[in-house]
Amino acid sequence: MDLFPVWLSLRVSLVATALTVVLGIPVAWFLARRRHVGKEMMAALVVSPLVLPPTVLGYYLLVLIGSRGPLGRLLGRLGIELAFTWRAAVLAACVGSLPLLIRAAQAGFESVDERLEQAARTLGRSESSVFWSVSLPLAWRSVVAGVVLAFCRAFGDFGITLMVAGNIPGRTQTLPLAIYDHVQANAMREANVLALLAVVAVIVLLVGVGRLVRVRY
Amino acid sequence: MRPHWLVPLVLAALVLGTATRVAAADPPTLTVFAAADLAFALRDLAPRFEKAAGVKVALVLGSTGNLARQIEHGAPADVFFAANETFVDELVAKGAVIPQTRTLYAQGRIVLATPKAFGPRLAVLRQLTDPRVRRVAIANPQHAPYGKAAEEALRKLGLWDAVRPKLVYGENIRHTLQFLQTGAADAGIVALSVASVPEIDWVPIDPTLHAPLNQVVAVVRRSRRPELGVAFVQFVNGGEGRQVMKRYGFVLPGEF
Repeated sequence: MDLFPVWLSLRVSLVATALTVVLGIPVAWFLARRRHVGKEMMAALVVSPLVLPPTVLGYYLLVLIGSRGPLGRLLGRLGIELAFTWRAAVLAACVGSLPLLIRAAQAGFESVDERLEQAARTLGRSESSVFWSVSLPLAWRSVVAGVVLAFCRAFGDFGITLMVAGNIPGRTQTLPLAIYDHVQANAMREANVLALLAVVAVIVLLVGVGRLVRVRY
Repeated sequence: MRPHWLVPLVLAALVLGTATRVAAADPPTLTVFAAADLAFALRDLAPRFEKAAGVKVALVLGSTGNLARQIEHGAPADVFFAANETFVDELVAKGAVIPQTRTLYAQGRIVLATPKAFGPRLAVLRQLTDPRVRRVAIANPQHAPYGKAAEEALRKLGLWDAVRPKLVYGENIRHTLQFLQTGAADAGIVALSVASVPEIDWVPIDPTLHAPLNQVVAVVRRSRRPELGVAFVQFVNGGEGRQVMKRYGFVLPGEF
């Protein structure tokens, strides 16, 4: 059996999770800390991708980054092809995951007692130092919960990936797409094996990383 | 307490580790986008062409409408086998496929299918109104050509309004077939090309009840190896290809 989809899915979901963390945590922090106009509006906007059916969301993304789309043409001029490559699968996974990470992390940051952060500031800590040594450690559990959700969503994405990355065997066929193809072809044995592999891979990864993280916190 | 730096390191290692694998698995390939009704026929034909032409064939099966939209937006397909000519003509108008390569390769047929587990084997469409038939599977007529043909046939016989409350819609013809294979539907209308599976019985439906399902193929404009695409089309329409297509229930050009 071709195990390419397993490797591709691991790669895509890990890169996507890393990107989601890098992009999502600052947004969550911003939404949790600053009191600004339209804050609720922004928080609602951030989770809005969850409302749309994934394939529809994928279609909009395709219109944006495809060869005729504004972003696609711009990237094309720079010699970068995004749609229907593994990078598009990463983008798809990110779009699905970001709302989950942001919501969880935002809740975590909001639950941090602001007086503790103020105390750190009065002791001369810089803003970034306050973030790394006070806010993040105190919000850690929620942030980790968000990362786990984001990773699982990224690993399991079907609809968005199908539309923007295609279902090209050996190139953009991720594990969920491969399982779906096997089910459609009535190859249930292959489908079951891959589904089991998906679950085992995610459990091993989450338990493994969980151990690593708990060493410190 | 600072976040553990080992985590990003492990992630980076994994990512880079798999990166080389992905790069290595990228040999020159003919990417074929094809309607779901071709699943069985092309799975049979692709290895034969691989052997004859010395290339790898990547088969991407889906609903004709979806695949057409992806090709319009730059999908890296070399050839597009549609279940319906209108989608190819749309792509011709949009400049996404090469007009000169537009070729008729088959005509589709629909059949009335019953899961063996259901019991009574239906012989005519009228029996779909039987109260024992509770769920009838067809492909979604809004975007699936075989679903549209099923609707036309039911309308022509004046059965549409009676059968409509029982209908369940598959996303494409393979999905519709699955409703029948699993016994989730008591009867259904599917493509002849996918109907020969052990779980179901079927009888042909008179093709004059619906508009002809002319199936058309074209080579995609963005293809880097259009000559390979043309060769594959010729292969499917050639002696060996026709034999296989016929075996899977397609009516071939010149035999309508």
